[in-house]
Amino acid sequence: MSITGIIVSSGIAFGQALHLIHAEHHLDYRPIPLSNIPQQQGKFVKALAELQAQLTFSQATLNSDSDNYQLIEADLLLLQDDELIEQVNDAIRTLQLSASVAVERIFAHQANELASLDDPYLANRAQDVRALGQRVVAAINGHLDQGFKKFDTPTILLAQDLTPAEFALLPRENLCGIVLKTGGLTSHTAILARAAGIPAMLGCQFDTDLIPNGMPLVLDALNGELCLNPNPEQQAKLTVTFHHEQLRRAALQAYKNVPAQTLDGHQVGLMANVGNLNDIIHVSDVGADGIGLFRTEFMLMNVSTLPDEKAQYSLYCEALHALGGKTFTIRTLDIGADKKLPCLYQEQEDNPALGLRGIRYTLAHTELFKTQLRAILRAANHGPIRLMFPMVNQVEELDEVFTLIAQCQDALEEEEKGYGELSYGIVVETPAAVLNLRAMLPRLDFVSIGTNDLTQYVMAADRANPQLTRDYPSLSPAVLALINMTILQAKSANVKVSLCGELASSPHITPLLIGMGLDELSVNLNSLLEVKAAICQGNMQQFATLAHTALQQDRISDLQQCITSYK
Amino acid sequence: MYEKTVTIIAKHGIHTRPAALLVKEAKTFDCDVLVECNGKQASAKSLFKLQTLGLYYGVTVKVFAEGEQAQLAVDKVSELLITLS
Repeated sequence: MSITGIIVSSGIAFGQALHLIHAEHHLDYRPIPLSNIPQQQGKFVKALAELQAQLTFSQATLNSDSDNYQLIEADLLLLQDDELIEQVNDAIRTLQLSASVAVERIFAHQANELASLDDPYLANRAQDVRALGQRVVAAINGHLDQGFKKFDTPTILLAQDLTPAEFALLPRENLCGIVLKTGGLTSHTAILARAAGIPAMLGCQFDTDLIPNGMPLVLDALNGELCLNPNPEQQAKLTVTFHHEQLRRAALQAYKNVPAQTLDGHQVGLMANVGNLNDIIHVSDVGADGIGLFRTEFMLMNVSTLPDEKAQYSLYCEALHALGGKTFTIRTLDIGADKKLPCLYQEQEDNPALGLRGIRYTLAHTELFKTQLRAILRAANHGPIRLMFPMVNQVEELDEVFTLIAQCQDALEEEEKGYGELSYGIVVETPAAVLNLRAMLPRLDFVSIGTNDLTQYVMAADRANPQLTRDYPSLSPAVLALINMTILQAKSANVKVSLCGELASSPHITPLLIGMGLDELSVNLNSLLEVKAAICQGNMQQFATLAHTALQQDRISDLQQCITSYK
Repeated sequence: MYEKTVTIIAKHGIHTRPAALLVKEAKTFDCDVLVECNGKQASAKSLFKLQTLGLYYGVTVKVFAEGEQAQLAVDKVSELLITLS
């Protein structure tokens, strides 16, 4: 028997089923008999001890400077907190509540109290408290997940959902595959699984009761199927596929040192999306033409203070040095929406995705922006840099940006610090940017299409909501039409056009994208060779024909069909 | 009784991680150390209670203790309140 799902990280995995169970318990709210009070209090104390042991165990594997280590430390302190233990025990005794209900009540009360604090940053901690309460309830009910232990045998993890934080804590040894009921293609866990090269399938509606822990499974994340209890025949067939896959991956290495060029000689710029200096070192490992997206906000993520101009300048210089003259595309700070940074104060907004994010944030905080611009302008003296701005909607924003750049250049000249020339671009990620492109193109050297946000904004569908990402995918007629409009306008103005969203990292969509006329793709490091192979294996004429047909499709399903039948 | 009043200067306030460090320090003293802020009071040894005070940027906090090592404990806790971030 097999169950289907959405492939977010391809590959084949053999392993035993293991459920990561989240608190989804049916609590009994009836008062407990008085005689039961000591037993319930005992259960609570035992659950605390069990959870502490588990957290201490996982903490031991972490570096004591890491954020995760310190957050676990805080959880441990809460679990040993006399006031908390007393409150729960009191609730069990005076209100005759079961241990689970008492814990739920006390933690919910605490979370509500935190949520009502005036400071949004502190109020956000309410979520952490709720999550910890759920884990205590799970421990009381004997459902504490095995998430933090080591896997003794090859394991395929099954869960309702997995947060990026939970994923980061999973032991990697023997973790062969991940299957989740929820989650979308652009969810952060999907991105992490892909980066780690672990086969993963999301949106898989398995019935927990049908798959006991330990059941042999094969995750076929090439065809989007989870095979339960495979019979010898299936097992043999999938083993063959698995070996083919291994060979195919080995064969991809052949593309490492060849240019991304179609059979009929059409050359494509193939770049990598990276978020830290470490990734830059791997850019040459996979034979990329450079960096098509350097997400600078990542340098602010685990620090308590903003890196100053000097620190940023040396970071950019180091990157230029590592790239040795290859293209280096920097995106200015993309702060806001789902990216919360500990070192910056951000106003709480009702609709953060529609709020002060990207260029809007940096134009509202010009000191922050100027520091980055100065560092980049100075670094450009040491190598070629392309600079692009996120979330630009209209030409007025570009006016402001270029005024600030001119100010920075004047100041640098006065200070005799020197600066280099930059190429300028914008990330096209709102429908307004597409519609206003004509006015902006004369000021630009390139544009890069960000399909994740473009999809979210044109569909008015939250990219973090798996239900919506399934029904309103990037590969859809509306998004393709916007990409096409962008390409045609950019071409007629002689401006280079690139695409840096997740869409670019799917090798089966590569022929379509190249056929539409994109000059460049910027993809995840671990998809790069596959995308390159897809480019090298076809010719431009086939690609263009595919694009022509695809652009005429009215339905998502026909569009998908059109892509699948091309091969 | 010994007491001291300080103002929080950490930009994000005393959030989870600094609060955890503060609690660990407070636990090394035998005497009770109390923290008062925004009209609420909590033991510096209880992260659970401390979290609810709202120790954010700019608020004034009173730290007090009685008994053995009271002065040392108050000095240490107040120092952490203004240096942690």
